[in-house]
Amino acid sequence: MFSSPTPAPGSRAIAGAALRNAGLIDRDAPMRDLTDKPGGRKGSSKIRSHRPRAIDAFKDAPSQTRMLSSRASSSHAGPSDPLSIRGASRLTPAGRLRRPAILSTSVSGDTTMRVTSIRASRTKPVEGWRDVVKKRYNPETGFLNLESLIDDELVKKFGLVPPGHGGDSRDAAVIFKLAGQLVPKVQTLSLAKNNLQGPHLQHLSHYLPHLANLSLQDNRLRTWRDLDFISSRRGKLLHLRELVLLGNPIREQSFREDNGQRYKQEMAQRFSSLEVLDQEAITQISFDLPVPSSTPSAKPTAMTFPYEMGSSFVTGVDGSIVSNFLIRFFNVFDNQRTALIDAYDPNATFSFSANTSIATRARIQGLHTSAALPNQTKLNWKPWISSAGGSRNLTRISGGFDRTVKSLHIGAPDVVKTLVELPGTKHDISGPPEKFCLDSFPVMHGQGMGLLLTVHGQFTEVGTEGIRSFDRSFILIPAPEGSRAKVNGWDVVILSDQWTIRNYSSHEAWKPGPMLVQALSRQQQASQAPAPAIAIPTPPPSQPQQPQQQPQPQQAQPFDAQAALSSMPEAQRNLVMQVCQRTRLNVRFAIECLAGNAWDVERAVANFEQVEATLPRDAFV
Amino acid sequence: MTAVVPPVVPIVPIVPITSSDVEIATRAADHFTRIYYTTYDSDTRLNDLPQFYRPNSSLTWNGKPFQGVEGVRQLIEKMPSTKHEVLSFDCHPIPGTSPPSLMVTVSGNVTHGRGPAGNPPTTSSRNPEGQPRVFSQTFLLVPDPAAPATKPGELAKYYVSADALRFVG
Repeated sequence: MFSSPTPAPGSRAIAGAALRNAGLIDRDAPMRDLTDKPGGRKGSSKIRSHRPRAIDAFKDAPSQTRMLSSRASSSHAGPSDPLSIRGASRLTPAGRLRRPAILSTSVSGDTTMRVTSIRASRTKPVEGWRDVVKKRYNPETGFLNLESLIDDELVKKFGLVPPGHGGDSRDAAVIFKLAGQLVPKVQTLSLAKNNLQGPHLQHLSHYLPHLANLSLQDNRLRTWRDLDFISSRRGKLLHLRELVLLGNPIREQSFREDNGQRYKQEMAQRFSSLEVLDQEAITQISFDLPVPSSTPSAKPTAMTFPYEMGSSFVTGVDGSIVSNFLIRFFNVFDNQRTALIDAYDPNATFSFSANTSIATRARIQGLHTSAALPNQTKLNWKPWISSAGGSRNLTRISGGFDRTVKSLHIGAPDVVKTLVELPGTKHDISGPPEKFCLDSFPVMHGQGMGLLLTVHGQFTEVGTEGIRSFDRSFILIPAPEGSRAKVNGWDVVILSDQWTIRNYSSHEAWKPGPMLVQALSRQQQASQAPAPAIAIPTPPPSQPQQPQQQPQPQQAQPFDAQAALSSMPEAQRNLVMQVCQRTRLNVRFAIECLAGNAWDVERAVANFEQVEATLPRDAFV
Repeated sequence: MTAVVPPVVPIVPIVPITSSDVEIATRAADHFTRIYYTTYDSDTRLNDLPQFYRPNSSLTWNGKPFQGVEGVRQLIEKMPSTKHEVLSFDCHPIPGTSPPSLMVTVSGNVTHGRGPAGNPPTTSSRNPEGQPRVFSQTFLLVPDPAAPATKPGELAKYYVSADALRFVG
């Protein structure tokens, strides 16, 4: 289906180049991989072995002048230079000997001087680290190279304690914080060769959330838990494109145990934005990402919704097709799920997911403890989470990739088999229409068109008789002529069906009309109706005269409008507001008027108009 | 009598979904939902969020339709600030498309404005206004034929071709 589930030919070379450009690997990393770990690539197919590899480029071009010059151009290239770590005495273009020489002699005139002056004037570790970080940063490439800090000249001079060599996560946090302050922002960070363990990385994402490339080569990361500190699964480093874990136990052990494929799979799931792992490209779908430098637009300040809650929206398709489908579908779904075999395309996909949280508004409204809904407390999530391959809530599937596959049901027979195993349901599709809400419009499907149909509503769970809310999304296509679906009277057939099951929330959530962002103050509530231009009533005599800019809140009334309003469901409150607005009745009388008219706004307003002349003045705001 | 040879190739060949497809799709949905809502909740949303869409994208926000990149801009321009919390998401590769379209459904909470903290001090604790809402959002993600893959391992660049959102609790 995806045309290229394995990395494209040559991708290793590209990846290698990308890493080199980012300064993440040095030239002999692939070579070491070949020589040190002959069995380390069992996960890769044999086919790939004839593809161009990064190493070939090095073989053909021994003098990587571009790379070297870019390294050399970071003027303070001292012991921190990555090349110096491995190539003990490789020549730079400048003809200067690397590390051994550098360590024993001066780095360059100005650096030495700077160091001396620092030593004279500064003592705090944070100041020392600030100099180390600054020295190790190449602003042109956005590359901060913190490799092998223990060997750093400044670290030694200031007597700093690097993380991994006595320093803990707080010491690391100091360094990351300083790194986060660098300008321009750090794109690439190498923490290679620092003896680091997972907890050292605890604060990395906090200070460098937009980091794109990270090398943790040759550290002591051992477990998946160690990686949780930087995993997108935990909301960390969401923009990470490249990661190097070569030379860490977690990777090396996987490959030694011939689990390289699983390692890659797990890594891919734990780092969802990753494009290159350990110098190999990961097959992926990409999106147009916001760039970190994107110009900040005005901070959102609106305190009202720009649009109202709308009613069900169906376009581009005959409404009867949708309603016929839904009525039949839910009827059969509730009564004889095996008969749905024809409603699903032979290749259809289905899964269900449980969102087990209790919605804040539902809790405030007491929907789970209400005496009016006595069965809610009998509901149990277990059958929804564990039966039929299990809930496919992908935020929760952490136990490996297998469950992700097992909980996706492919093909009509498998779909129906799964449906049968799930708890029984009763959708009251012919009951009050406001309990369901649907949106449907045409979408592209390959070269043709399909229909996206989303349904929100509630059902009664058979057995417990408790109520649950649900959201269901379908992709529908016309049933092909002569297909079983068509023969059996289905005009449309389901290609994809995703069902989210939730704790019960009231259908008032999608009641058409204006919505509030924040609760209204008493004052706002009283004046919610921008008072009509004409005839603002004079305040009651008991109150001092007020300028007429604002109707007086009903403080004087024993009736607590605020309490009354806040204790009623949102939908009712909206009705009260509407009546207040249209009649200028105060909250108390608006409630009375609505209650006497079956909570129908039109009837209430009509009734009001009949009796308006007879109402006491204090009936109004 | 001549034997009737049945057609060997089905009229509409359907490429079956492999576990590798599922893996890639799951990952893409994970990545997408994270960056989408992070972007939505950021101060730069007006510049950044429309980038996930194309001029031919269709979307509905609580039943109100919008069209394309401009529509997205129009929708979010005067939207109060948001804080989304994804509590559940799911993703299917859609059969019969190659590379497959992805349907992603998301269920979660969204807080608007300043949330409960922004309510007037006299607000009753039983007043649900200002509290998080439950949202349900369905995306159809499709490959952009005009944006060829540029990065190693990249199959295609996807965009939001359809997006339907409702407040549901």
